[in-house]
Amino acid sequence: MTDTAESSLVAAATERPPFYRDATVVKWLVQVVTLAVVLFALVFLASEAGDNLEAKDINTGFDFLSIDPGINVGDGIDTDPDTGGRALWVGMVNTIRLSVAGIFVATILGVVIGVARLSNNWIAAKVASVFIEYMRNIPLLVHILLFFTVLGTLGNFGRDTEPILDAAGNPLLDENGDALVEITQGPINGWIHVSNKGLSLPRVHIADGFYQWMIFILIGFFIGRYVMKQRQAQQDATGAETYPILSLLGVMAVFGIIGWFLHPIFGWVGDAIFDPIARAIPNVPEQVVQVLLSVLALGAAALWIKRFLDSRRTPAGLAKLTDDDWFRMIFAGVSAVIAAIFFLVVWPGLSSWIINSSRDFFEVAADKFGDGRGNWREDWPIDAARPDIEKRGNFANPGPAGLNFSQGFAAVFFGVVLYTAAFVAEIVRGGILAVPKGQTEAAQAVGLKRATMLRRVILPQAFRVSLPPLGNQYLNLTKNTSLAIAVGYSDIVQVGSTIFNQTGRSLEVFGIWMLFYLACSLTISAVVNFFNVRLKIVER
Amino acid sequence: MSMEHELDERTKELIANADAVEAARPEEPSLPVGEWLKKNLFSSIGSTILTIVFSLIAVFAYRGVLNFVFSEERTWDAVRVNMRALFTFAYPSSQYIRVWFVVGMACVLAGLSLGLMRSIGQGFSLKRISMWFMGWGSFIIAGILLREPSVLKDDGEVVLDDDLQVVRESFGDAMVDRGWWWFGGLLLLGIGLGLWFGLGDKRRRNTFVPAIPFGLAVIGVLISSVWWYNWGHYGTNADGLVIEPGRTVASTTQGPWTVLWFVLVIAYVVGLRLKDTERAGTFRAIVNLSWLLSPFIAYFVVLRDPDLDWDHVWSTDLPMAIGFIVLGGLMLFFLTRPGIGEIGRVIATAVLAFALFNWVAAFFGWYPMLQKARISFLLLGLFGLLAHNFAGDMRQRMRLVYGWAGLMVVLHYLITMINTAETHEAPDAFAGGFVITIFIALFTMIFAFPLGVLLALGRTSQMPIFRILSTIYIEVVRGVPFITILFFFTVFLDFFLPDGMHLAGLAAAGIGFVLFSAAYLAENVRGGLQAIRRGQYEASDAVGLTTVQRTGFIVLPQALRVSIPPLVGMVIATFKETSLLSIVGFFDFLRIANAAIPGQTEFLGVKREGLLFVSLIYFIGAYAMSKYSQRLEKQLGVGER
Repeated sequence: MTDTAESSLVAAATERPPFYRDATVVKWLVQVVTLAVVLFALVFLASEAGDNLEAKDINTGFDFLSIDPGINVGDGIDTDPDTGGRALWVGMVNTIRLSVAGIFVATILGVVIGVARLSNNWIAAKVASVFIEYMRNIPLLVHILLFFTVLGTLGNFGRDTEPILDAAGNPLLDENGDALVEITQGPINGWIHVSNKGLSLPRVHIADGFYQWMIFILIGFFIGRYVMKQRQAQQDATGAETYPILSLLGVMAVFGIIGWFLHPIFGWVGDAIFDPIARAIPNVPEQVVQVLLSVLALGAAALWIKRFLDSRRTPAGLAKLTDDDWFRMIFAGVSAVIAAIFFLVVWPGLSSWIINSSRDFFEVAADKFGDGRGNWREDWPIDAARPDIEKRGNFANPGPAGLNFSQGFAAVFFGVVLYTAAFVAEIVRGGILAVPKGQTEAAQAVGLKRATMLRRVILPQAFRVSLPPLGNQYLNLTKNTSLAIAVGYSDIVQVGSTIFNQTGRSLEVFGIWMLFYLACSLTISAVVNFFNVRLKIVER
Repeated sequence: MSMEHELDERTKELIANADAVEAARPEEPSLPVGEWLKKNLFSSIGSTILTIVFSLIAVFAYRGVLNFVFSEERTWDAVRVNMRALFTFAYPSSQYIRVWFVVGMACVLAGLSLGLMRSIGQGFSLKRISMWFMGWGSFIIAGILLREPSVLKDDGEVVLDDDLQVVRESFGDAMVDRGWWWFGGLLLLGIGLGLWFGLGDKRRRNTFVPAIPFGLAVIGVLISSVWWYNWGHYGTNADGLVIEPGRTVASTTQGPWTVLWFVLVIAYVVGLRLKDTERAGTFRAIVNLSWLLSPFIAYFVVLRDPDLDWDHVWSTDLPMAIGFIVLGGLMLFFLTRPGIGEIGRVIATAVLAFALFNWVAAFFGWYPMLQKARISFLLLGLFGLLAHNFAGDMRQRMRLVYGWAGLMVVLHYLITMINTAETHEAPDAFAGGFVITIFIALFTMIFAFPLGVLLALGRTSQMPIFRILSTIYIEVVRGVPFITILFFFTVFLDFFLPDGMHLAGLAAAGIGFVLFSAAYLAENVRGGLQAIRRGQYEASDAVGLTTVQRTGFIVLPQALRVSIPPLVGMVIATFKETSLLSIVGFFDFLRIANAAIPGQTEFLGVKREGLLFVSLIYFIGAYAMSKYSQRLEKQLGVGER
């Protein structure tokens, strides 16, 4: 190769190409242009929306949250909300109720069906797979509408009633002079109502003696934990099965049973402990709380920095700190100082808020523990109420005593639960089959019984594999509850769409929907990730 | 519903693996009946209890379904009379030949595809077929025995006893009344037993029957039933819908269905012939392309019967199309000249900049131009940027030009057909029933696919801005329920558009479907992209491919192959999700069954029958597709890695 050729090659290698051929420049140019186009589109669309709304004389803003929405909500904690925000809150609570209950039931059902699908028993496997195929090949909306329709064809609520007779055989009358009636419809003598108004079940609720009873359970828990640790140590040492968790549960159960009868002996707790605390708290000066909070913030930062330095220290002495390390420490210190300034200067009201709310908390506690000091025959920790009936006659409704599932709730609940259960079952099956065959063989080789093998070897590993997909199913379940709008059950989407039909605040409502569902997604992801990380650590 | 979108890529992999593990189990040797029962039902006390419990569940469920379906209170006429409305809504009956034409089109394409397809698996063994026959026969006979006897009727009135309870016939009479059911059940059972024992030899029992001819034969038997069984009746007059017991579905549809079946079979035979020719690959490509175009042609051209403004066509549409084809073709031919260097890139960029300017200008009304010209310029710019990949000999260069010409022909033809005066006056007035379910599902898959691939590439890209934008988009869309997105596009979208711009209802909903599905699809494709080994990238860098070439020729083909089963899952999910159209005001067949039929005077409040029918249709579609995807998985060997 001649010198000239070589030097021109070198020149070509060192010379920068023109900017439009420079890969870095072109890449960044394309990206920046794309970003500009996207931003331009968003700004343009937003300004168009503003203009259009103004032209159509539609108000914008979130003031509808604090004024009377003029709507009634069909179901929930407050059927006649006095502000738009309250109405949306009722919808959110309904969605959360549906989701939480749904996740709980769908998981149990799904695991049972998934295990049945893998059963050696031919007919159990067939029934489970027919169920799964039926549920997952038909849209959820169709399921929900079908359940809703079927529930609607059930008998009228309170159709079969009988007058309540006194000892002499005459019907009892209420204050209006109408005969008091007892519902005979529904299985188990009126403890369950199944009707076109939905389901009405006995409500199990916390009664007066509950909190005193909880003290017993708590004591039982601590003693039980001690027993459990002892037995665990024994098992680790000898290898003999000592059932540590079962013994914890057993101790707690014993205390629970004893407490059921003895709980009134803790009747003094409210007056003697919580009441004095509640009265003492307002005497604490605000400055003390402010200083305490600031000291806490600074102390936490100092502690963190000390630990951080310890972790960077080599056995020989101080290690070299990188810029990044210095930055972290400075960041921790500065944020602690900012927090202290915040507590002391910017928001002094925080400390009075803390004082007031802790006083409230202890007052409530004193109140709760103050109740139920009678005898155990009357003040049960937990009680159940039989479903009652409101507005007797042709337009009867389930009363507040029972646990009521309205027709819409029942339709969405069963739809979502059964649908998700089918997917959960598939995931459980996948998880179990993902456990390598060698694990089963090894377990058999060391002579484990079939049940022990399932409990100790297969299910823990299957659970680890199926947890992330399960989390996804929970997310889907939460999102799927939005189909409640099809049957008029007042979840957040239904309430929101009613509000924007009334007030025209469609974009604001849409924003609230998105924030709410994103918050739900993040919460569920966080919970699932928490368990996921714990399982991963075990895996090593 | 979100629905099977719900199955993310990880879940699908888990389930696919489970299916593969189960499929890989060796087939059990066939045991004598007694031993089989002992092994599978009564192996232990626990198993026996399970058997009893689940048998009771199965028997009661089956009995409940039978008693519901055959109850004298059911008005299945509500479904039979409204069959036409359920499938095509208010499509004028005088124009019904168009509907048959569309079905015929689908049959031709389906037949050709089935014929041209590489065979799927081995088909069904005779043993399995005979077991199916025996199973269905026993199932029907069990149903005959389990169903409760019918009520007695006197002159059409139900007979009541003293306690006002209906009177039912005796068990023996009921068994005699169900003669035809006995006949059918025993026939199936007999065929099954005959196959089993007629082929006493075990080896002959394992002979395979190809799946497709078997399926065609089954469809043929089903279709032949319209000639001898009265499936239903309907009719219309000036006042609307009337029940005409004399006119049956069979008497008006037996001709078309029979012809269509023959069309299907002939197309299949033709496809088989074409498969053996040298140009099978070309034919396959043509058929696949036709599938892509068919929903638009069927919906906008055949069903809609566009009212063309011929003056405008001659004066503007046609010249413009020819201009783009010829001038654009010439430009691309020039740009593919080997050694054109920087000039090519500059020209292409200039065209692209001009096209982008036109899009921006469109929003401000600065520079009036027909929409199809804007689209064409944009495509021309993109083709120009790709041109240097086609530099080479004449054949190589002409490939790009031919591609451009074909694209322009299709694009201009479709836009002209869609963009007629009646589109603006009465958009989608006829759209409803099962037709929009199918149309939206196909529309969504066709457009969501490229968008989803782009998003997946963006999310896995090295360029931070693309990655962040794609990630934000995907996560936000996946974080909210589909119904809110659909609300956004059908209710709120008009706020965001400039004055005078309006999206017809179905188009808005369709865009919502596309944007939603694309986010989920992107996650599936991303799974495929991550499955590609590093070595593939390094190898393509080593042979000096550009990023575009590497993505197009190395990365995507492998990634998409891995993602095929989850993509079929996406199709199922989209198909099921179309049910949400009924919430935002479209008359899809769910809404017709849930709201329209119960409002008819003859069928006031009759809902369950319609909903069950809708469930059945969805079930058939989704189940068939999921079975197909399982076969596909086995064929592709996914899950055996």
